[in-house]
Amino acid sequence: MISGLTTQDDVAEDVSLECAVLIVGSGAGGATMAAELAGAGVDVIVLEEGGYHPTGSFAAGTGRALRTLYRDGGGGMAIGRPSVLYAEGRCVGGSTVVNGGMSWRTPGRVLRRWAEQEGLRAISEQDLDPYFTAIEARLSVGPQDPETIGRDSELFKEGAEASGWAVVPNRRNQLHCAGTNNCNSGCPTGAKRSMLVTSVPRALARGARLYADCRVDRITRAGSGVTGVTGHFVRPGCRRGPHLTVRAQAVIVAGGAVQTPALLMRSGLRSASGQLGRNLSVHPNAVVTAFFDQDVHGWQGVHQAFQVREFHAEGLLLTATNLTPPMLAAIMPAHGRELGELMADYNRVVTAGPLVSDTGTGRIRNVPGLGPQVFYQLTDHDAVRVVRGVELTAEALFAAGARRVLLPFDGAPQVHDPGELRRLLARPVPRRSLQLFSIHLMGTARMSEDPRRGVTGSFGEFHGAGGLIVTDASIFPGPVGINPMETVIALAMRNARRLIERRASYCI
Amino acid sequence: MVCPPEVRAGHRADRVLREFGLMLGSLPPAARKALATALAVLDQGARLYPPSRGRRFARLDDRVAGAYVGALLARRDPAGEVVRRLKSVVVVCYYELPEVQREIGYDPAPYIAAVARRRLESYAPQIRAAEAAITAADGENP
Repeated sequence: MISGLTTQDDVAEDVSLECAVLIVGSGAGGATMAAELAGAGVDVIVLEEGGYHPTGSFAAGTGRALRTLYRDGGGGMAIGRPSVLYAEGRCVGGSTVVNGGMSWRTPGRVLRRWAEQEGLRAISEQDLDPYFTAIEARLSVGPQDPETIGRDSELFKEGAEASGWAVVPNRRNQLHCAGTNNCNSGCPTGAKRSMLVTSVPRALARGARLYADCRVDRITRAGSGVTGVTGHFVRPGCRRGPHLTVRAQAVIVAGGAVQTPALLMRSGLRSASGQLGRNLSVHPNAVVTAFFDQDVHGWQGVHQAFQVREFHAEGLLLTATNLTPPMLAAIMPAHGRELGELMADYNRVVTAGPLVSDTGTGRIRNVPGLGPQVFYQLTDHDAVRVVRGVELTAEALFAAGARRVLLPFDGAPQVHDPGELRRLLARPVPRRSLQLFSIHLMGTARMSEDPRRGVTGSFGEFHGAGGLIVTDASIFPGPVGINPMETVIALAMRNARRLIERRASYCI
Repeated sequence: MVCPPEVRAGHRADRVLREFGLMLGSLPPAARKALATALAVLDQGARLYPPSRGRRFARLDDRVAGAYVGALLARRDPAGEVVRRLKSVVVVCYYELPEVQREIGYDPAPYIAAVARRRLESYAPQIRAAEAAITAADGENP
């Protein structure tokens, strides 16, 4: 029994609660807010739709992880041509429990662009530096210990460096990561400093209350202000459990770039900008699968040890990321006997690919009977960059000694050398044939000081609804161009500080 | 049809179905319904595939069933996309089976145990200090 934690197991009948600040979501934004506010003596309740799964429950097992730690079994789909598969965490700790743990500060040029375009205040590198510094200490952000770096990462680095490209060691929130390569199924050692093992216990130790397995249906309002939420506990099998009502002076929504706008919209909240649910960016990424003659055992070593930064100015990051057998099989362009033959070489495979800083053309809509649906149209410009990122990735893999590669384009043949790659890609690759994935969704409640342009203000406050603050990647005014977790946490810490400074006006 | 032929060994097919059922159980009702509908359409849709001679998918022999699935997977329309997603879920379930993973040389549990032990042997004091700082009183940590 963890003090302050309530799960659906503990609840037999309807629940009614009161607090000063109610936080929806326990991921990077919500848990950080909870820890900061509770540390300042604020009475905080956190509601998390997913379950509480402690470190001791994590093991190698993709299916179990998909069922318990991800929303919809990890099988979200942004509808478009091509569609983009995406995954969101849904558990105490949110996506930080299942991400790769990459921890990078927001690039200065991105912050400058956001400030200039949207008139945002207190968002320069200098403004955020104290928050980044604090986070990096709390989450033990730093490079990997050398003994944990796997052969797949080394090979990709060798290939990139042979091409003369800049490669940097990844900065990760890890406390002497063991290199289990189990990041996406929950870290079995607790070395990855997710919210589950940092800000959530910190908040609870400071008096916050956390309700897991609890889905928020609506934000309640009176006049132009918010008064709390209504929701329900979620029983196993997604069955509806007891009802929950929380009254609060302020409501913080931190459900991620899909669920946050969906909750705001189904609560009847509107943005004068018309931008609520729009401007979705997804950082589309694609996977190149390379087969080597040597044993790689990519699952032995840290999830991502390096990033190729040579093309960052173009909005491209390249990295090697090992996939478990189920995940690799899922993306293989084969079935039956052919799939078995490809998978027989699992230990000689390196998977790598580009992450593209996109131009944000998606939106979230609540569809009756189906709930939130994601629509995203890759632009021609972004499609060209995806193909370029794939080509660069494949070049690096060939330079590292790959004997053949599979490209993430429907119907593409296996490629056996760089010349064949160039000949194949000399012809345009149809946009709709791209096989794309995303784990970085952002921008659907963007910040802007101008309520005609943005949904939220400089500190996440919802334009037009008193006492309502958004603090997750949905407030980004555009793609951050790098792994977004540390940006979410820094903004949450800053927004919490702002709320604490103005607590009298919020009556908290 | 989407899994390698070894799925017929032992009771693998039954266990793949069990995994598939668990996966379905983790989905919200609307998604479950959509997936069940897709499966039903896939089954009955085989009647329109000329080599099936009007039979539903469940009644096809392996050769025709394999060709039917291959034809669906190759389609570049929404129907093909749904089938590719179904295929992905099924093969996830197949490659989740421990003996299948061992056959391709993936056996992570002993590796995880070994590196977790190495971590504690190498860094126990630093780990303890950092973990204690998380819940320590303010002023003692960031």
